[in-house]
Amino acid sequence: MQLTVDGLQVQVADGATVLDAARQAGAWVPTLCFDERQAPFGACRACMVAVDGTPKPVPACTTLCREGMVIDTNDPASRRVARTVVELVLSELPSAPAPHTELAQVAARLGVSGSRWSGAVHPVDHDLRHPYLAFQHELCISCGRCVRACDEVQGAFALTAVGRGFEANVAAGIGSGFLESSCVSCGACADTCPTDAITERLLLDGSINGGPPPEAPRLRERR
Amino acid sequence: METERFDRTVTTTCGYCGVGCRLEAHVRQGRIASISPAADGPANRGHTCLKGRFAHQFTRSRERLTTPLIREGDGFRPASWEEAYARVVSELGRIRDQHGPDSIAGLASSRATNEDCYAMARLMRAAIGTNNIDNCSRVCHSPTSFALRKSFGLSGATGSFDDIELADVAILIGVNPTQGHPVVGARIKQAALRGCKLITIDPRRIELADYGVLHLSPRPGTNAAVMLGLCHVVARDGLTDAGFIAERTEGYETLAELLVGYTPEVVQEITGVPAQDIEQAAHIYAQAQTGCLLWGLGVTEHKYGSEVVQLLCNLALMTGKVGKPGSALLPLRGQNNVQGSSDMGALPDTYTAYRPVSDEDTARLFEQAWGVPLSRKKGYTIPQMFDAALSGELKAMYIFGEDVAQTDPDTAHVVAALEKLDFLVCQDIFETETSRYADVILPASSFLEKAGTFINAERRFQLVEPAIDPPGGAKTDFEIITTVSRMLGHDMGFETPWDCLDEIASLTPQYAGVSRERIGRHGAQWPVRADGSDSPVLYDTFFDNPEQRGKFAALPYKAPGDAADDEFPLILVTGRVLQHYNAGTMTRRTSNVELVDSDLLEIHPQDAERLWVSDGDLVSVRSRVGRIELEARVTERIQPGHVFTTFHFPETRTNLLVGQSADVNTSCPEYKVVAVDVRPVAEHPAYVPQLAGVS
Repeated sequence: MQLTVDGLQVQVADGATVLDAARQAGAWVPTLCFDERQAPFGACRACMVAVDGTPKPVPACTTLCREGMVIDTNDPASRRVARTVVELVLSELPSAPAPHTELAQVAARLGVSGSRWSGAVHPVDHDLRHPYLAFQHELCISCGRCVRACDEVQGAFALTAVGRGFEANVAAGIGSGFLESSCVSCGACADTCPTDAITERLLLDGSINGGPPPEAPRLRERR
Repeated sequence: METERFDRTVTTTCGYCGVGCRLEAHVRQGRIASISPAADGPANRGHTCLKGRFAHQFTRSRERLTTPLIREGDGFRPASWEEAYARVVSELGRIRDQHGPDSIAGLASSRATNEDCYAMARLMRAAIGTNNIDNCSRVCHSPTSFALRKSFGLSGATGSFDDIELADVAILIGVNPTQGHPVVGARIKQAALRGCKLITIDPRRIELADYGVLHLSPRPGTNAAVMLGLCHVVARDGLTDAGFIAERTEGYETLAELLVGYTPEVVQEITGVPAQDIEQAAHIYAQAQTGCLLWGLGVTEHKYGSEVVQLLCNLALMTGKVGKPGSALLPLRGQNNVQGSSDMGALPDTYTAYRPVSDEDTARLFEQAWGVPLSRKKGYTIPQMFDAALSGELKAMYIFGEDVAQTDPDTAHVVAALEKLDFLVCQDIFETETSRYADVILPASSFLEKAGTFINAERRFQLVEPAIDPPGGAKTDFEIITTVSRMLGHDMGFETPWDCLDEIASLTPQYAGVSRERIGRHGAQWPVRADGSDSPVLYDTFFDNPEQRGKFAALPYKAPGDAADDEFPLILVTGRVLQHYNAGTMTRRTSNVELVDSDLLEIHPQDAERLWVSDGDLVSVRSRVGRIELEARVTERIQPGHVFTTFHFPETRTNLLVGQSADVNTSCPEYKVVAVDVRPVAEHPAYVPQLAGVS
């Protein structure tokens, strides 16, 4: 079907979302909970855009295209929503997200450098028991990407969203950590995480501090 | 690119299993800092497993070989490359002159690139003058290659992994993808969750059985009877695709006669699979619009493994489920380049693309290209090499990237053969069980340190690009092999592996359009025509033999090479786990050992109770040829009467147990059926089997 994104004519297939159309047109739409390897989730509300004929901004990732739709990705109201979403997310973190993370990059592109709101931040809570995967729970923004990667990409069903509101976070197994869960150590969760709430242990240990990657373990002595 | 964390990122292809994940290797200060999946990888689509993503620490292990080693007394001393090359060349030259070229054999590696394997084959054929060249596909999927050529014409999957998502039903036989081929395993699981009906056939209840509609647990070694039973029901109930059989195949009448005898009841008697399950499985597969067949080493590593693959082809031909989207036969090839190493002619009987060494036209083509006369005589297969070494006909071996003393069957026999050789060269990234018997050890490079191409299980050429340098004085396999060849008097004239790829394409019509540029980021599935167009689907209009027809094979069930008896009442099946890769040379030098640190013997609770074995107990496992000790894991994944273990840890020496029974057509060893006796062991520490010459 034919539609318009920021004044450009775009042809999309049946079933395409507004986000698909925007990306096809080369337009940038901020996203936090979206990963193209997963079904659209529509949780973060960062991807709001204006669509002709709707009174309020709509989420691009879960809105299906219609013939003749006119989409504005630069709509000021939508951008205000996105900035507010990112500011609220940042307000709960004890420290700024690392520059390489998707959250930091989205914030930078939206021109959000801090948060207007102060208040409670998540307590630092690290779990380094797995040799490759590390939890930094204080960085979790409950986007659900890790849980969906585990379910929809790998199929290990090891991660669960836990808690409500400010307490919302992610857990492996029944909170027992990766090693005691059905985790197969594929790392899809760390790969998709936009904040490093789940990240690579080897990067935490080594190069993130500026040094070289850590040594390899020695081969076990023969018995 | 993440400039703040990494110095550079190189897109390459994973060197672990045959799925062929495309990876982004992130480098910092000359080391691999991290690896992530390439979003556009055709097989992995932005996903990979813990081996591809995390198991890269081995590249910087302190145990990497960084200088050539030459035997001195009971040990080795470091040597310069000049001395090592001189020693290799003078010894190989002397043995060739004294005993003839056929007294020397080479092993290429299914872990190495196409260019490495092609160069190794050329070294043996042109520089030495023998067809004694083989590779480790001998001991895994050689039966698949043999059977697919017999039934359909070409030695490769008929389709692509993408067919899995298009299939209404998938039969998995003798394969455990969530452990052995994790990314394809994940794709199959997702397909099952979206409605693809899975039928799993394996003595063990594999994880994917939990996501399927039906699981059959045949006794090890009875796959042929299961396949004949399925075909019987399809024929009996009129579920064949009569049009396809008439137009596209030949030999059906003979098969139909044979099938009459394999009623589900007869098959139940042979396999232990309930007759109604055979009926149901046949109906589900035959009545589906589209269906894939996937198999692994549980099919091939048997005395009649190649025949079972032919029987699988029968089932697909009878129902017309081949050569169409969603209907593919997908052998899950084990190692990253087990497809390519064989495609490249690192085999004792074929040049590239399986053209026989006895074929005059092909031999002349290569004689012209290489400028030397070439032998028309078939060389030794790997098992024949060990036999010939023991009988004194084979004097020297050049083994690269393969640890035969850990992974080949009947370890005691292999070790005796290696000991008997006058001269053994090992080229590897670490010292291995095999290199203990070497005269010269050459330090080589891992997949992250070399350039070239791999071919994955979908027949797809994919680029391998170096992310880091080989450590210390180590060199790439390609440089070593071509240098040895030049010093032996045969200069291959390759500056880089890409020159070699060009030669492969120029001498092989099936790869005519292959080039570094054409392969690019997305790969090319052979046959690749001169215009660069490739072949995701084979046989959509004709089969690749002179008759252009699929060939039915009327092959009856025959009993496996080993069977349980009073002295050895249990059947041992050997295999792999997710966390480690074959000999474990690489994965044992990564943090994967924190996840799994030993081989375990899986045993059913009934057998465990009868034998007074508890979970975690040390047990002794004795077969007709050897004995080992390891810990027991009591689990209902395995059937009563069967036990299972892996061979990832050299101290276990699992392959001491496996005898010399092998596939009748390809001599692929029967790793999957070994009669054993299991008993609890009281004392610690464990008994360690001692081998000749090992201190």
